Amino acid sequence: MASVGGQSQRRKRLTHESFLRHHQFLFLKVAGALCAVAILAYLTQGGRLSPGGGTALGYGLGTVAAGLIVWLALLGIRKRAVTDGHYSLKAWVSAHVYLGLSLIVVATLHTGFHFGWNVHTLAYGLMLVVIVSGAFGVWAYVTLPDRLSDNRGETTRKQMLAELQALDELIQDAAQPLDRQAAEVVRLSLEQTDIGGGFWRRMTGNYDNCATALALRQVAALAFDARGAQGEALKQIEVLLTRKAAALALARRQIHITALLEAWLFVHVPATFALLAALTAHIVSVFFYW
Amino acid sequence: MTQAITLRLITRQAGGGEIVRTRRIETGQAMIGRSPDCEIYLPDLAVDRQHALLRIIGEGQVSVESLTGEPFIVNDQTALRVELDVLRAAVVTFGEFDLLIAQGGEGDIAITVMRKDEENPPSPSLFSLKAAMFGRRRMAWAFALTILALCLIAPMAAGFYSRHIHIQPDRQWSTGPLSKAHAFLETDCKACHQKAFVAVRDEACMSCHQDRGDATQIAALDARLKAKGSPFDPLLVSNHADHARLVKATPLPPTLGGKVKTLFQVALNHPTDRCASCHREHTTAPPDPNVPATADIVRPGRPTLVVVNDCQSCHSNLKKRLPSTSLIDTPDWSRHPDFRPVITTGFNGPQPRLQRIALTSRPREANGLTFSHRLHMDAAGGVARQGQVLGAARGYGGALTCQSCHKADGGGFKAIEMERDCGACHSLAFAQVGNELKTLRHHDMRNIVGVLRGAQSPASSPSIDPAVLRRAMAPGGLCVDCHTINNGGVLGGEIAPVHLANRVMPWGDFNHSVPAHAGQGAGAAACVDCHKATTSDHSSDVLQSGIATCTACHGKTEQQAAAAASAECSTCHGFHQPGRAPQTPQDRTLAATALPAGVKPRGMPAF
Repeated sequence: MASVGGQSQRRKRLTHESFLRHHQFLFLKVAGALCAVAILAYLTQGGRLSPGGGTALGYGLGTVAAGLIVWLALLGIRKRAVTDGHYSLKAWVSAHVYLGLSLIVVATLHTGFHFGWNVHTLAYGLMLVVIVSGAFGVWAYVTLPDRLSDNRGETTRKQMLAELQALDELIQDAAQPLDRQAAEVVRLSLEQTDIGGGFWRRMTGNYDNCATALALRQVAALAFDARGAQGEALKQIEVLLTRKAAALALARRQIHITALLEAWLFVHVPATFALLAALTAHIVSVFFYW
Repeated sequence: MTQAITLRLITRQAGGGEIVRTRRIETGQAMIGRSPDCEIYLPDLAVDRQHALLRIIGEGQVSVESLTGEPFIVNDQTALRVELDVLRAAVVTFGEFDLLIAQGGEGDIAITVMRKDEENPPSPSLFSLKAAMFGRRRMAWAFALTILALCLIAPMAAGFYSRHIHIQPDRQWSTGPLSKAHAFLETDCKACHQKAFVAVRDEACMSCHQDRGDATQIAALDARLKAKGSPFDPLLVSNHADHARLVKATPLPPTLGGKVKTLFQVALNHPTDRCASCHREHTTAPPDPNVPATADIVRPGRPTLVVVNDCQSCHSNLKKRLPSTSLIDTPDWSRHPDFRPVITTGFNGPQPRLQRIALTSRPREANGLTFSHRLHMDAAGGVARQGQVLGAARGYGGALTCQSCHKADGGGFKAIEMERDCGACHSLAFAQVGNELKTLRHHDMRNIVGVLRGAQSPASSPSIDPAVLRRAMAPGGLCVDCHTINNGGVLGGEIAPVHLANRVMPWGDFNHSVPAHAGQGAGAAACVDCHKATTSDHSSDVLQSGIATCTACHGKTEQQAAAAASAECSTCHGFHQPGRAPQTPQDRTLAATALPAGVKPRGMPAF
């Protein structure tokens, strides 16, 4: 089993890296060439006019950048269409990453380094937000799947939840003999435990004031003094709560890594839509007041 | 007999359906709690082990009383004790359990125990961040639509109503500051961008900058712009030439890239022959390592000037593109054609015949006068002696200088007036009546001639004897010293018409007052360096020197000439003021005195 798991891990690692290495870094070379041409043209442009969007080169770079942005955004549609052959999705993703990064050079040269509080710089800023979030996504896709896989081992997410539910039922049963005060403590864990939590808990993986952890501490204190059936039950519950805390930690690590893996898309996709809108406003405004 | 309690326990099954178990309690009371020995056993940690006691207290009447002081819920109200009429069914809730207390069959009191619906167990989707966030798609559309509304729709709508509202949402479209001269227009985009999707047209510029020639209109324009906040009076411009001819005369740029660029612009309705093609706004001056970065870089005084077509590009091979032009090509300064001053070659009746003749053709002038500059400027001659006699008090004192007769006026000179400029020596006395000398009113000669012809009545007191005038115009007479006399007329002889050109170079400007042109400073030119007056014996001599005199300084380096100066075309030829050097706003008043704005110098040929 272990050897099978190891092979699968290695294969996955290769797969994760392959969109970056696709076709011997073909699109890295294409993007590099595009940047080189843009920089060369920028440095050698003459004319009395300060470099910017209004020069011939400025319009040229702007057209290239706008075309790239629209094409890059089309990945959202392309990835939903399952095809094979030369124009594989992997090639698209590879081109998406490298050409997306090249936009930093092309669009910055298009601005001629003129920035202001206007719709044009808004579009530029949104573009940078999209690119930076995308770069984070590349990092996440390259590194996090391994951590996710290592964390869960052979346990599926369904099994994690099932174990938590089973533990809750055991705790519920074990708590029946308890008096009201102890029962309230156990209910804390049963009713107040939020497995996933909100955005920041998921992103930071910090579940310090978890209800189960609190219940566990209080149950341990109560068990220390308790006698008889109550004492027996509390000891049993302490064991069960300890198991629940471990199961929760595992599930929450999974949730944290998943959040890191997914978070960039919550910036990347809405910022892309915002960018397309700002880009439209940028282009239309330029020609509206030509 | 005490009523019995029929207890119905309903348990929901996982796959749907219910299991109902029924039990009768005859004791008239039932303990409710989590303890398994309770009659009504509710295995819920929110319920105390022996939480409450239900008792039948009368016919169809029950009471429920908390035994631990912990409340329960009756029909959505918390309570510690409650008495209920079973005919009016009630729901008593303990933790997750609902107890429906109602009238049962056979006179029993029926208590139905049901566990509330359990919450759905968490699904694996809990692991995704989506569980904690708004939908990506909803966020995306919200952002996109907000930006479209605020950054596109609102400014476009404001484009139609901006004159009536105080906010200017279209200002967010500005790509950069305007120059200082135009900064007052920053809140009024429509002042220049008059039509949507149409590049700024010359009409917008000319609404402020058109030289209409009329002083009243110009003053009104200045006042209107000052009221709007303009820091300067606008520079007034005239057409360099007729627009259609300009378009014909303009070649495509020499480089392939330039040609493609121009054709693109023309195709996209962004022609390169507009004011805004050269005068660029919303842009900063290009970074120049020699110029320190000051505020002027960000907001220059005037729009950035981008030369789309320089002088040479049009004024080379011009005839190929514009066969009807009379202009000679000037590909560069070294190939500037020699001057072709406006020469008075004679008269058609009273009107002078003006002709531009190249100096290389050694033109002769027929201006109607007899005059020797040499005679007048001879330091040892009679004129110099006369100057001594007149003395310094009258502006003389010795040999005549140029300034003795030619009175400076701005960059040029006042037109010669006989009485003022010659009258100190040349007496116009033609008769003596008693001790009084009768003098001709030279400036009013038309009247005098009219009187002599009997066509006018005298405008002045002295009665003129025609015989005296006849003598004055006869050979050796008073007038003949300076004037050409034509035979004929009422008097038998008539003074020929006179035309002294005040300006002989219609398309080029020359400022006589700059130090280098006024003999001040090293290498500066004195009058005689350009005008060979001291050797001229005849008024037919053309005293204008050729372009070689200019090239002695213009276009030279400081090593080559002490008074080295620019050889830019615009030094003498203003693009927007044909025939004048480029103006600054401060020049405007000065220039207006030299030549009325918009009025071409006389004798100017058609372009």
